[in-house]
Amino acid sequence: MSMVLRGKRVRLAAIFEPGRPIKPVWFELNRRQHRVLQTTYQWQDRVGDAELLHFTVSDGEALFELIYNLKEQHWSVHAQRPETP
Amino acid sequence: MNRQILHLDMNAYFASVEQQNDPTLRGQPVGVIGSSGRTVVTTCSYEARARGVKTGMNVWQAKQCCPELILVVGDNRRYTDTSKRIVAMMRDYTPLVEVFSIDEAFLDVTSSLALFGSAERIAYLLKARIRQQFGLTCSVGIAPNKLLAKLASDMQKPDGLTIIHPERVASLLETLPIDELCGIGPRLTRQLNRLGIHSCGQLSRYPLKFLQKRYGIVGAKLQQMARGIDASPVVPVKEEAPVKSVGHSMTLREDVSSRRDIERFLLQLAEMVGRRARRYGVSGRTVHLQLRLADFDTNLGRQKTLPCPVNQSEDLYRAALEIFDTLPVDQPIRLLGICLSNLQHQAEQLPLFGPAQRQWRMTTAMDLVNNRFGDATLNFASVLNNREKGSHVISPAWRPEGVRCVDVR
Repeated sequence: MSMVLRGKRVRLAAIFEPGRPIKPVWFELNRRQHRVLQTTYQWQDRVGDAELLHFTVSDGEALFELIYNLKEQHWSVHAQRPETP
Repeated sequence: MNRQILHLDMNAYFASVEQQNDPTLRGQPVGVIGSSGRTVVTTCSYEARARGVKTGMNVWQAKQCCPELILVVGDNRRYTDTSKRIVAMMRDYTPLVEVFSIDEAFLDVTSSLALFGSAERIAYLLKARIRQQFGLTCSVGIAPNKLLAKLASDMQKPDGLTIIHPERVASLLETLPIDELCGIGPRLTRQLNRLGIHSCGQLSRYPLKFLQKRYGIVGAKLQQMARGIDASPVVPVKEEAPVKSVGHSMTLREDVSSRRDIERFLLQLAEMVGRRARRYGVSGRTVHLQLRLADFDTNLGRQKTLPCPVNQSEDLYRAALEIFDTLPVDQPIRLLGICLSNLQHQAEQLPLFGPAQRQWRMTTAMDLVNNRFGDATLNFASVLNNREKGSHVISPAWRPEGVRCVDVR
């Protein structure tokens, strides 16, 4: 397994629904659109006064960690892990 | 009325979180390792345990036991956040939640039974919610006290629920090996074995005066434990006794021997300790320096008590360096630790004049920047080359809030 990305900003579509967790639907990385098939884990932490929501998602080929910075209101991809065979 | 205590123990916690995070790891032997070069297996999945892998093994030993072992670098922030959310879930059932470690907690649900029916129902509700929200399993023990609840949760792993009813305690403990009780470790077990004591039944009948002669007041406590008696309350985090010390230690990636390297690691540690002390408004008079040398067996430590309480990183650094110069260090250093004790809360004296005031203003400015942008964003120039900044290990004393809630990386 290898980590190949750190904090690259991405264009992303997500569903914000009252009373429900944020749901990433797709994101673009290197001009390719990845459709989120499964969100496997969610957690949050804080860097300084910025709260970060982490979503581990799978597009069926690889795992990605998407991070939503609640203070700056931007999305980034933190890590990419090819799925273990 | 008998108390109703639950002990909840997450099963192979770090490894299970990793298996949920990456579905391809589910059902596989997984070992979680730290990020530093000196890696040991922090914990492993049940699949790895079945193949002989144990916590604390070196990676090469673990691979010998289980060549197909998948090693995953742990993410401490994921574990601490999940733990905080599970503790919040427990507080839906009772305010009396004592966090024992990152993956264990006691709940006193005696006063919640009117609302939720029974302790067993609360246990099932918690297990179901934890499984549904995180995909994780836990073992729960229910008993009239903490000692027996912990014993009960250890009886069925993984995903167990064990109840020890008061009328079953005596028969259960009669043949139970003493080392199954929480608080009786390998050394005490060996000592008791030498006295011919192997089971709790034997310990409960052993003449008290002999135990007291040998172990003092602990002797009486041991006999009470062997009888299943434990009156200790479940203490929520906010009611815990105030912390007595604030400290950090770090196992270095490589053993260091040059004065310059030692100084920069000490400064980094002093900043970590000072920053946490300042954040929670504590200062202390006693600085303790701890070293472990390259042979792994030599531990050196000494403390120095200062004329007035300090929490400025520079003061801590100077005190630590003075202590270091008194220690007989004849080998490279593997581990360094600084601890501030003899604490006073909100006792800081603001400096009014000269260099001390400038230092205080500089520290305050650094803290403000780091509060906004994250720890170690603004740091001392001499520690910029340190590869690992911040705390990378979840201490057994970690708590979801307060001074013991150390932000890990």
